[in-house]
Amino acid sequence: MLKTLSDLVPNVFLAMLLAAAAIMAFATVNALFLVWLERKVSARMQRRYGPTVVGPFGMFQTLVDVVKLLSKQLISPKDIDKPLYHLAPIVVFVPVVLGLSLFPIDKSFALVDTNVGLVLVFAFAGMGFIAIFMAGWGSNNKYALLGAMRAVAQNIAYEIPLILAALAVTMIARSMRIADIVEAQGSFPYILVQPIGALIYYISAVAETNRAPFDIPEAESELVAGFHTEYSGMRFALFFLAEYTNMVIVSMVATSLFLGGYKGPLLPGPVWFFGKVYFLIFVMLWLRWTFPRLRFDQLMTFAWKVLIPLALANLLVTATVLKVMS
Amino acid sequence: MDAVHPSAWAFVVVALGGALLSVSLRNILHAIFGLALALFGIAGLFLYLGSPFVAAMEVLIYVGGISVAMVFAVMLAYSLGKKEGGSTRRFLAVVPVGGFFGVVGYALLRASFAVTSKTGSWDLKLVGRKLLLDYNVVFEALSVVLLLAIVGAIIIARRDEKTGDDKTADEKAASKGNDAASAEERAS
Repeated sequence: MLKTLSDLVPNVFLAMLLAAAAIMAFATVNALFLVWLERKVSARMQRRYGPTVVGPFGMFQTLVDVVKLLSKQLISPKDIDKPLYHLAPIVVFVPVVLGLSLFPIDKSFALVDTNVGLVLVFAFAGMGFIAIFMAGWGSNNKYALLGAMRAVAQNIAYEIPLILAALAVTMIARSMRIADIVEAQGSFPYILVQPIGALIYYISAVAETNRAPFDIPEAESELVAGFHTEYSGMRFALFFLAEYTNMVIVSMVATSLFLGGYKGPLLPGPVWFFGKVYFLIFVMLWLRWTFPRLRFDQLMTFAWKVLIPLALANLLVTATVLKVMS
Repeated sequence: MDAVHPSAWAFVVVALGGALLSVSLRNILHAIFGLALALFGIAGLFLYLGSPFVAAMEVLIYVGGISVAMVFAVMLAYSLGKKEGGSTRRFLAVVPVGGFFGVVGYALLRASFAVTSKTGSWDLKLVGRKLLLDYNVVFEALSVVLLLAIVGAIIIARRDEKTGDDKTADEKAASKGNDAASAEERAS
């Protein structure tokens, strides 16, 4: 039986505090690890070593970087839109914390379990765009504004195939509860029945997290750093933290929908779950350091003229097959 | 009437506060963010009333979709930072707003809200069945409305293109990521 945190901790407020603390801790450690991993992977792909000095294999390099970020002076530019500029780093982090709580990491445990879990994941993901816009507009910087506009145009475009691909899976599993979807993948993961859906989902997910080759919103050769150009110190760190945690969230969705979540032989559930999640993240890093950045019109054309029709066709075929088989 | 849990009042405060912000702020972008806050509060109320599905949809469609689309439309179509609306216009707005408020208020007061089941879980399958079997005419009519909106938007956009309106030139430049046009617009 699936247990949630509220089953284990009867007091609601205590449960909320515990969940928030656990998620924050996970998000921070995860970002530390992923930044290090990204630097190592990129270095290896370019025949370099990456960080080697601080700690074994340079593992504590990001920890030292965080200390630097924490102690940095916060610089606010003149003529910013004050409420939006200051709210944006906080708002960008809220949906990330909420989204992380929804996944069953084992047969018997999820922080939160709801019958609309999958809808909630996408709902929270949508809230993140508002924060990006707040940052872009609030900074009073043309590069930030352009980055934010690109981010939103891109996210609206790629959210459609993302949700359509996930919809095909919910039709097969007949549920939007993430635990049910994982359980419905009996002896084989859904990537075998939905290979096209899985591919569409993964491509769109990479685009949703604004990562290369879809990192148009922060294309450093054109836009300095996009929507977070004017943020420094911890404010910048919060955007960074949100980006890396978003990678985890989309990978968790992909793991739960297409790779059978916590299922796997021999090893315990959480090991399989996080193993699959970090494998998908590794593939994202791999993609980033392998492919060049797309041009903006190529990016939009790819979403509207390739991914969306393909996702719709996939949905239609899935529905037809399900109807015929039932 | 049953006592209302304090957490519901928190959502009411968020919804009303957001709504107040959205009508009182002069900067149109701030107003949209206020609206997003109000819609978030409404989603919380749905959650309180035991419909997590509607709450999730509210956040997905309104907070994450409509608000973002509105911000985006404002950025593309509206001269940024321009203040609009004189006193006469505001006075004229009283008529439709008052009329709408009157009609909705009257309908709300006349309608009876019978509580069918308080604890019944809002099963997704039930929502789907209701939507596609019992209310399928309404459902289809709504999609026709959306289709009309899309067609209308295309017609308006294409007419501007022919006359070579300034606004569309900016729009095109901005959507192509042309730095100069937008930056100048922003600076002025």
